[in-house]
Amino acid sequence: MIHQSDEGPGPATPGDAIKIRARGINVFYGAKQALFDVSLDVPEKSVTALIGPSGCGKSTFLRCINRMNDTIAGTRVEGRVELDGEDVNDRSIDPVVLRARVGMVFQKPNPFPKTIYENVAYGPRIHGIATTKPELDAIVEKSLKRAGLWSEVADRLQQPGTGLSGGQQQRLVIARAIAVSPEVILMDEPCSALDPIATARIEELIDELRNQYCIVIVTHSMAQAARVSQKTAFFHMGKLVEAGATGDIFTNPRDGRTQDYITGRFG
Amino acid sequence: MLTWVALLALALFSGATFFAARRKALASVGGRPVGLHSLPGYYGGYVAIWVAIPAALVLLAAAGFGGRLEAGLLRATPAPSVQALDAQQRDVFFDDAVSLSEGRQASESVYEGALKSALDSAVARARHLKSQITYGALASALALACAGAGFAFPRIRPDFRARNRVEGWIAGLFILCSVTAVLTTVGIVGSLIWESWRFFQSVSPIDFLFGMDWDPQIAMRADQYASSGAFGAVPLFIGTFLIMIIAMLVAAPVGLFSAIYLSEYASPLARAVVKPLLEILAGVPTVVYGFFAALTVGPLFREFFNGIGALLIGGGLDGLGQYLSQVQNQMALVAGAVMGVMLIPFVSSLSDDIINAVPQSLRDGSLAMGATRSETVKKVVLPAALPGIMAALLLAVSRAVGETMIVTMAAGLQAKATINPLDTVTTVTVQIVTLLTGDQEFDSPKTLAAFGLGLTLFAVTLTLNIIALRIVQKYREQYD
Repeated sequence: MIHQSDEGPGPATPGDAIKIRARGINVFYGAKQALFDVSLDVPEKSVTALIGPSGCGKSTFLRCINRMNDTIAGTRVEGRVELDGEDVNDRSIDPVVLRARVGMVFQKPNPFPKTIYENVAYGPRIHGIATTKPELDAIVEKSLKRAGLWSEVADRLQQPGTGLSGGQQQRLVIARAIAVSPEVILMDEPCSALDPIATARIEELIDELRNQYCIVIVTHSMAQAARVSQKTAFFHMGKLVEAGATGDIFTNPRDGRTQDYITGRFG
Repeated sequence: MLTWVALLALALFSGATFFAARRKALASVGGRPVGLHSLPGYYGGYVAIWVAIPAALVLLAAAGFGGRLEAGLLRATPAPSVQALDAQQRDVFFDDAVSLSEGRQASESVYEGALKSALDSAVARARHLKSQITYGALASALALACAGAGFAFPRIRPDFRARNRVEGWIAGLFILCSVTAVLTTVGIVGSLIWESWRFFQSVSPIDFLFGMDWDPQIAMRADQYASSGAFGAVPLFIGTFLIMIIAMLVAAPVGLFSAIYLSEYASPLARAVVKPLLEILAGVPTVVYGFFAALTVGPLFREFFNGIGALLIGGGLDGLGQYLSQVQNQMALVAGAVMGVMLIPFVSSLSDDIINAVPQSLRDGSLAMGATRSETVKKVVLPAALPGIMAALLLAVSRAVGETMIVTMAAGLQAKATINPLDTVTTVTVQIVTLLTGDQEFDSPKTLAAFGLGLTLFAVTLTLNIIALRIVQKYREQYD
């Protein structure tokens, strides 16, 4: 079922182009429906936060954008997710190409059991972005610098990435994601396994990356959503309840459930 | 017979004390189990254990060692006429006395005069001793059972910690079982080392480990041919190694690839069908693989090579043709290939477990980077699983080296130092079988050589297993 309305639910932050346009998304895990008719606009070059209680479908929505739901057997996605006006679920779209454009950072840092260098070089290698060693070196250095990790690992690039601390691992994974120059970065609770100091570093990083990428972040922390995002969408029981400029959502929510959630009455 | 009846009676008695003790425990708190330290059953169990275990030990000891005690007591007081006999005759005399006392057939020895009367009195004494031992055991078992009840029953009070005591007994039982396994292993290794040491008294370890000539047939009589025997085990090591290599060439790729298919590509339905089928392959007895190799695969391979040989004869490769047309049923290739098939489920099931242990988050990470599934398997999953897979392969090697039945039936018996897979070779295990089957005298180097081979084999497989387990352990720590 394709819901062809051009009217976004909730006002997008003014003056921003729309990068991702989702319309009428339903997701089923087997017989269980996880998302109900979700429509959301994600603006370019800004951070959009998805908040809501556990199991509300915000991660499921995130995984629709780079088609990671394809990797779970028995999952069915209905509706339209447009990236720059192109439906990512279209038959002509190769998920492999799509995922090179839409990077993803997971809840738990998942560096590959390889060296720091090889972790970052992984994407450029498989996509054939760099052909010579100096090119690859340059990409690795640039990505690590942009992820704010270069100064900490420059002298030990050949050591295993799994030997870093949790916060460093998460920044390594972000470096790995931006090494293939994606347009969108999806972050699924990127700080939930980190301590407050490491969290602060990641949040700083997200704020810097906002200038170049469209970032969608799922978070359980209302404070984090308020700090890093420009737009916030509140999910509840598989439905998108409310979406709008972060300032509006937190100071002046229109829906009672949003109000209850952000004031800590449930969730 | 009497012992079994007594054990049955003891079981019934101890069962009765169980219920009596349970009832007493409940009665002591007015029927409310909350007032007891332990559940009522533990009080019953505590008393039942004290009744049954000591008495049962006495009965079993009497059944197991009573005969020896009887013989020992009988020999302790020999009549003068018996003392006059030599040691061997005396043994026969006492064996006969015991046999006659039990109504069994005695030996054909003839006893006359003083010996005859000595025999009669020995038979009577044997009967007397036997009944003394049996009834003594029964009486002491009864006394112990009663004493156990008398000791344990009065201790039942609401604050008595029956559960801790019963659990102590149960823990003791577990320790006993594990100690039995450990002691058995120690015993086996000990006997292996001892007999090998005896073997190395007559054959130098250097000659054994580095000698190129294996011919263990030692003549029984001095005038027979081949009276010396040769114990250079290198041809056996080469044969074992050759067959192991062939087996691994079959098992490693097939097993590994099927594990990759099962864990990464198979749909749940395919997995549900294929995995049990592979496990059936693992359940086929090796002797079945053995005659499959000897009767089916061997002739098949021979015909194949003979056929190729026939085509080549007369051509440019005439020599090779001549050779191939004379290949026999028994060859290293047949034994190795069939052994490889046997090892496939072993390798695939271990590798499947190891690949499944690679965290899903790594696959997700790679897929989310835009890697294809095959890139994910090749560049992330397999490198992460590699140490574990190496360990699985090492375990498979150690099984291949120790495998006996297939090679006995399909590899041959000739000890040849060759790496030609079409030739007949023999392995360490095959030689152990041939050295030890049939009537053997246990003091000739020929028989003892089996222990030398066994010790070598044991050292090799033990080393392989230790290395493999070390690797697996290290690998586990990586993700915990």
